[in-house]
Amino acid sequence: MASLPTIFSITESELDLNDLLAQITLPSTGAAAIFTGMVRGETLRHGSAQAPRDGPHETAYLEYEAYVPMAEAKMKQVADEIRAKWPSVEGIAIVQRIGKLYPRTPTVLIACTAAHRDTGVFEAARYGIDRLKEIVPIWKKEFGPNGEFWVEGEYIPKPGE
Amino acid sequence: MNKVKLLFFATIRDRAGMKSLEIEIPETMTVQELKDKISTDYPNLKQSMESVLISVNKEYAFDEAVLPPNAEVALFPPVSGG
Repeated sequence: MASLPTIFSITESELDLNDLLAQITLPSTGAAAIFTGMVRGETLRHGSAQAPRDGPHETAYLEYEAYVPMAEAKMKQVADEIRAKWPSVEGIAIVQRIGKLYPRTPTVLIACTAAHRDTGVFEAARYGIDRLKEIVPIWKKEFGPNGEFWVEGEYIPKPGE
Repeated sequence: MNKVKLLFFATIRDRAGMKSLEIEIPETMTVQELKDKISTDYPNLKQSMESVLISVNKEYAFDEAVLPPNAEVALFPPVSGG
């Protein structure tokens, strides 16, 4: 177990998806599930009370920040949770880019590798992004034609998280 | 007396107008008591204290937890990474 590759980091650099995938690919892995999220230039959903919006609105860019040492510790915790739930997952990469990020730019990557696709890798990657959005201390501020506002999450961590 | 370092992030940093602050606190103080003290000393942050998340030495901490000596305490809103 100890030799299985686990990558977790906060970075200001461009995400190199190929390089990250290569780092969690082993002779024994024949499948990878990769989730990446990117900045949207236009959003159809309605906003929150904090930032009321009517229909589509435009985003010029997002500015991400993180409490880096805690964020990396919580990413490690998410990776540990994935390994506990899906023991057949081999490599795990969890990387969040921070700073000023423009539409179409990848902001986050969660990837899991395993021997083959029927091992839970899809669910593991899904779990990874869901947990990152719950417990990893990262925030983003949206900048657009109507000003700027913080995007706030909803999840309240429980003791032990 | 005990000393803690406070770190502010996102909305809370904006409202505080600063990124960090060192303060002296009584020898025994809980997270709830710290929130009460911040609400009193920094009226700008009073409303934020109702929904704030708090970590102590990089782990989530809850109202009854007692602050250890020289703790690093971060105050922030629910997270929005991804």
